[in-house]
Amino acid sequence: MVTLDKIAHLAEDCRFDSLGPAASVNPEKLSLLGEGTRHDVCASTYSPRETPLPGICHSFTQDGRCVSLFKTLYTNHCSHQCNYCTNATNCSHKAKTFSYTPEELASITLSLYRSNYIEGLFLSSGAGRNENDIMEKMVETACQLRQKHGFRGYIHLKILPGASHAHIQEAMELADRVSINLEASTATHMSEMCATKNYENDILQRQRYIRDMSTAVNLPAGQTTQLVVGAGGESDEEIFKRIIYEYKEIGLKRAYYSAFCPQEGTHFERKEAQPQWREHRLYQMDWLYRVYHFQPREIRQAFDENGFLHNNDPKMAIAREFMDSPVDPNVATIQELLRVPGIGPRSAQRIVALRKRQTILAKSELAAIGVRIKRAAPFLKINGWRDSTLEMWSE
Amino acid sequence: MRVPEDFHYYLSRHLDCNERLLARARLFTPRDLEISTDPDAMRLRKMVSAVMGEVHRMLAFVRLKPLGSQVLYGYLKPRHRIGEHVCDHFARRTPGIIAVLGNGSESWISLCREGRIMRDHGTGMAETLERLRSSLDCPADGPVVGNPNVDDLNVDDLWQVYYDSQYCPEKKNLAAFHSRMPRKDQEAAGLRLVQNKKEVTLDDFLGG
Repeated sequence: MVTLDKIAHLAEDCRFDSLGPAASVNPEKLSLLGEGTRHDVCASTYSPRETPLPGICHSFTQDGRCVSLFKTLYTNHCSHQCNYCTNATNCSHKAKTFSYTPEELASITLSLYRSNYIEGLFLSSGAGRNENDIMEKMVETACQLRQKHGFRGYIHLKILPGASHAHIQEAMELADRVSINLEASTATHMSEMCATKNYENDILQRQRYIRDMSTAVNLPAGQTTQLVVGAGGESDEEIFKRIIYEYKEIGLKRAYYSAFCPQEGTHFERKEAQPQWREHRLYQMDWLYRVYHFQPREIRQAFDENGFLHNNDPKMAIAREFMDSPVDPNVATIQELLRVPGIGPRSAQRIVALRKRQTILAKSELAAIGVRIKRAAPFLKINGWRDSTLEMWSE
Repeated sequence: MRVPEDFHYYLSRHLDCNERLLARARLFTPRDLEISTDPDAMRLRKMVSAVMGEVHRMLAFVRLKPLGSQVLYGYLKPRHRIGEHVCDHFARRTPGIIAVLGNGSESWISLCREGRIMRDHGTGMAETLERLRSSLDCPADGPVVGNPNVDDLNVDDLWQVYYDSQYCPEKKNLAAFHSRMPRKDQEAAGLRLVQNKKEVTLDDFLGG
């Protein structure tokens, strides 16, 4: 322990204003441009840098989603005609147009960051008159934060469709993560949703730029993307195909799904909202592929003949389809264990570690190391004894 | 939960931890705790997880206010003995700025300078801040940081406007909200209890 006076004296020595300037902002602008990103997701602020940034969720809204970033649009002025978006030029119910300056955004971000409301900035935007002018402002914002204010928090920059190679490169030097929204799963569905974006050139080509410019040093948290689910009428299987391509060919870190919800005044205002569960089931499917390493042919079993997931756990559906006999936790491989509903990657590893020390004899032992035993029991066989019900296997 | 290498440290911070328990814990490796089905080990694992959980949520929920240009302070009244640990985190987050956390009866002070942490432990927060105020010679309750002439929207208000803008009513899920922001942790961090102003119905209050 040192004394309080000594601490005060030492702090006096560091006479630089590392707290940054105080923010002042028009609340209407703050609210409106914030609302513009409420459907955008960046789930974690974890970034594996030289000094890794922990993922911290500072707050949650009543929809249960975390708010750990200052997530906002740079401007809600946009020249695109996306049929689902309230900022589109063809939206009849347009809100007042606002725009930040890089200085304003930097000062709001710093104010919220130093008070520990947020872990960083998530900056998206309408395309303005020209996407490259806006991209430049977004990069300038990140540049001010990092270089002028020595900001060490997390930065996620959206790449606007059609942004130049040079702007993408600059964004990648400053951000922890960048993303460009796919919105649709194919070019055809994109044309249903938006007449002004070229899927191949404005979006996929930019993703490849990002992939090709990624090094071990820049962009520690990688590249992500987001889709509007159901706006273009695509099936879950079409989304799945696209996502596999994205993970394999683009080297995507994660994909986010947002169920379509009609907005007043937009071209799609009468289109039916997608159920929230669809979004949830797509995330489960994504997890099976990305975290559980299921084969695409296994996951396809969860789709019906029209290529849609039903509102039940896809892992359970796949297990019922593929598991011909119960699994013995004392001998099964990790891959076999992972296919049992109620056993995740961590509990699968624990089972393997546990059985090296002792034979697993009871369900309660599995429950104690984190297996969701009610779900798992029908698929397990423990030393010849099994808990599965006859109906389960005769179904 | 993954049991970390230094789990003894977290265990030692637990409200109910004592020397006897720590001695017992030395017989276990992190791996033991993670996979053991032994009731003693499971109890230790629960205790470690309770402390780590509280640390994690305090890092998230504590809000800081500037005092002059060199101090950030915030309210913290944790159940476990984690005040110093949490305070160090904030000192590292803003090097060169003194982090002060505390409540009516005790306070923690940390400063990170050139990668090293210096710390002190004091009585009530008010007294500590008063002492810092006089050592640092900062104005009694003047404008805090930056340009005093700017019409500063209070950070708390700024946050509230932004926070409200992020809510998607069609995704409303109060169960998830309550489980991720436990009331007792919000209180420990002195958080003004969070609720969206939009779309709040009588049910929310009754059900909450």
